[in-house]
Amino acid sequence: MPATLPGKSPAMTVMPEDAPAVETARPNAATAPGRRISIAGVARGVWRARWFISLRAFATFICLWALLAAWVSSPLQLPSPAKVFDAMVGLAAKGELLSQTLISASRLGVALMVATVIAVPLGFAMALNRELNTYLDPIVELLRPISGIAWIPLGLFIFGVGGTLPVFIMAYVAFFPLLLNTIDGVREIDRKLLAASRTMGITRRAQMVHVMVPAALPSVMVGFRIAFASAWAAIIAAELIGSPSGLGFSIEWYRQLLMSPKVFSFIVLIGVVGYLSDVVLRTVQRKLTPWADGMGIDQ
Amino acid sequence: MSMNVNVRATGGIPNWAKALTLPIILLVIWQAWAMTLPETSPAPAPLKVVQSFAELTASGELIWATIQSLGRVLAGFAIAMVAGLSLGVLMGSSRIVRENLDPIVESFRPIAPMAILPIAILWFGTGTPAALTIVAYAAFFPLLINTIHGVSRVDRQLIRAAQTMGLSRLRTVLVVIVPAAIPSVLLGSRLAMGVAWTAIIAAELAVGAKSGGGTSGGVGQMMFVFYAYSIDLNGIVVCMIVVGVIALLIDRLFRLVEHKLLPWRN
Amino acid sequence: MSVQMIHPKPAPKLRLKGVSKQFVAPRTGQRTLAVADFDLDVQPGEFICIVGPSGCGKSTMLNMIAGLEKSSSGTIEMDGKAISTPGADRGVMFQDYALFPWKTVRDNVGFGLRHGTAGAGMSAADQEDRINHFVEMVGLKGAENKFPHQLSGGMRQRVALARLLANGPDVLLMDEPLGALDAQTRLVLQVELLRIWGETSAKADRKTVIFITHGIDEAVFLADRVVVMSSHPGRVSAVLDVDIPRPRTEEVRLDPRFAELSEEIWSLIRDEAYRAIA
Repeated sequence: MPATLPGKSPAMTVMPEDAPAVETARPNAATAPGRRISIAGVARGVWRARWFISLRAFATFICLWALLAAWVSSPLQLPSPAKVFDAMVGLAAKGELLSQTLISASRLGVALMVATVIAVPLGFAMALNRELNTYLDPIVELLRPISGIAWIPLGLFIFGVGGTLPVFIMAYVAFFPLLLNTIDGVREIDRKLLAASRTMGITRRAQMVHVMVPAALPSVMVGFRIAFASAWAAIIAAELIGSPSGLGFSIEWYRQLLMSPKVFSFIVLIGVVGYLSDVVLRTVQRKLTPWADGMGIDQ
Repeated sequence: MSMNVNVRATGGIPNWAKALTLPIILLVIWQAWAMTLPETSPAPAPLKVVQSFAELTASGELIWATIQSLGRVLAGFAIAMVAGLSLGVLMGSSRIVRENLDPIVESFRPIAPMAILPIAILWFGTGTPAALTIVAYAAFFPLLINTIHGVSRVDRQLIRAAQTMGLSRLRTVLVVIVPAAIPSVLLGSRLAMGVAWTAIIAAELAVGAKSGGGTSGGVGQMMFVFYAYSIDLNGIVVCMIVVGVIALLIDRLFRLVEHKLLPWRN
Repeated sequence: MSVQMIHPKPAPKLRLKGVSKQFVAPRTGQRTLAVADFDLDVQPGEFICIVGPSGCGKSTMLNMIAGLEKSSSGTIEMDGKAISTPGADRGVMFQDYALFPWKTVRDNVGFGLRHGTAGAGMSAADQEDRINHFVEMVGLKGAENKFPHQLSGGMRQRVALARLLANGPDVLLMDEPLGALDAQTRLVLQVELLRIWGETSAKADRKTVIFITHGIDEAVFLADRVVVMSSHPGRVSAVLDVDIPRPRTEEVRLDPRFAELSEEIWSLIRDEAYRAIA
């Protein structure tokens, strides 16, 4: 172990654990010595690849669906995959898939914005101020068990059938995970970080902006993902019952018209949009808070 | 080290009194506002809500509706448990099965339970079976996910210990893995019951709306009737409170079971 | 007869007199005396190590000097002025480094300059230069844009040290900074630490250091004087001069004087240490 002898100029001392990690290349049959790429090797690589497994799973699922549909032979209750695909193409061509998605998505966006703007600052305030927490917490804990769905009838009375009701329900549903996770995030801030910043003579305001907010951010992000998923589920119920437009409305509308393939199309769409949104959010979470590994739902 | 909020009474006013302050103030404001409205206004008021609660309880309607809803929840939960646990153990213990089924499961997860309702109605008509389908669907995922989580994270050392004692793979699963996964299953059950309760209210509300009132019964359906027919907003509020109280009770009950069975978890 | 030159002793950098600390448990009201009657004068440029059994109040003492905790009685003065709040003039290095996980090495090192008082009046360019200087001094050149979670323990250690030095404090307070490292890294870093501290420069150019450690040999290796504490309540049990000359190389550990001092310190702590694990 080299130690710098006094008298020498300060040079970089290489620590044993600081040696750059050398990625040992795994011997791959596809790139055997001699650099010959064998077809068998490539095929094996594809077979094990995640995207291929997913593809194969979906293909199997669709085949089973087609078989089941043929066996049940009730096009109203279980349309064949082919019919659903046709309906989807038709709806897409008319632009209906996109328009309904945009309607629902924009409502979701507004609701999440409202919820975030209220819940996150409130969460900080409640976590940092014990008095405020003592007064407000009971209200939060009283309202939380009353699910957003239960507010629909009353909401219908206040807002009537339309776009406002889903937004209200979603904002309500999104509020609680955001608030609770923010409070949690602020409470769990490593005290040593705060102490360290104080020993550097930081002002309270700067400490808030440069230490507290980043430190609580991972928890807030997790809360946001939960809020998003909950709101996306709630919008279906809200639109199904009390809205003349949107994805939830569409599935109910076409059911009443007994057009099952279109019903299924929209259900598939709901799933796809929900899945993609979570992927996007997970990426955002990773980019914004790269240091918080091993946190959050399903990582 | 975390910044724990040290709840301690400061300067005389006990904490419980502070806790009640805001709710009481809000109730008083609400009542005062309601009293400024004409007598015939349908707007809900705290005192009227209490009155409605007394009436509904006395007539037995409220209790009967709650029992109906809870019954459906339990039935749906039972179905979800059978499906979720068996599939969960399978997927949790076999990487191949998990890899192949995971894409399907993950695709259905973003599809909210209520989105399945139209299909359920197409299959079973507007009634209890449709509502049960929604509840079972809703409860299925938390149970499945948590069971997979519990089974797959069993300490490898325990499994190795069983193998060195000559247990077959099947026996290992039954005798080592399943018991070790119980904490996760309990957690999944608590979450599942929570969403199941929300789902039944939503389902009953929607089914009630679609069947024009109908006779399906349950708290959700009662809420719809109060909305669309008797225009009884106070009744709606009573139902909302019941929904909240039951949700709280379910959660506390499950936490109690968890605490008793697993005293080492905080 | 030689004429004795009387050099007036420089005023102590830190003066602790009769310092005690009593903790009151929030719920039960139970009182614990963590530190009692702590007296110590620290000269400018001195390297002081504080050793003692677990729970003897070493960290509490350090927190009080740092201003992170208030003493229950007694006075703590730096340059003749009483200390009550934390400040950049007394830099602290924590045991688990307390690096901001969302900031790169460079931003961590520059934190005190940008957001604290240490960088007041400095232009951005000067701050950059200062950051680069200290990053290089601790041997982390090339890793400036990495995040703490991408670094090894030893590297994080050095980031914390660079951050501490960049703020230019008069007094360096270190709470078991090498405690979380493996034994080999620790040995190497001890030598590094002395080098960076400026063992080879004149005493007037060195910073005052108060270094808390569990390791007796570490204390003897690093310090000018070793303060031995006893526990329950924590107080000064003895102050030993480490009369081993500087600069100290690894061979110092083989010096008989080294073993003597270590044994002396251990004999003071031994009984309590055994009792602690009973």
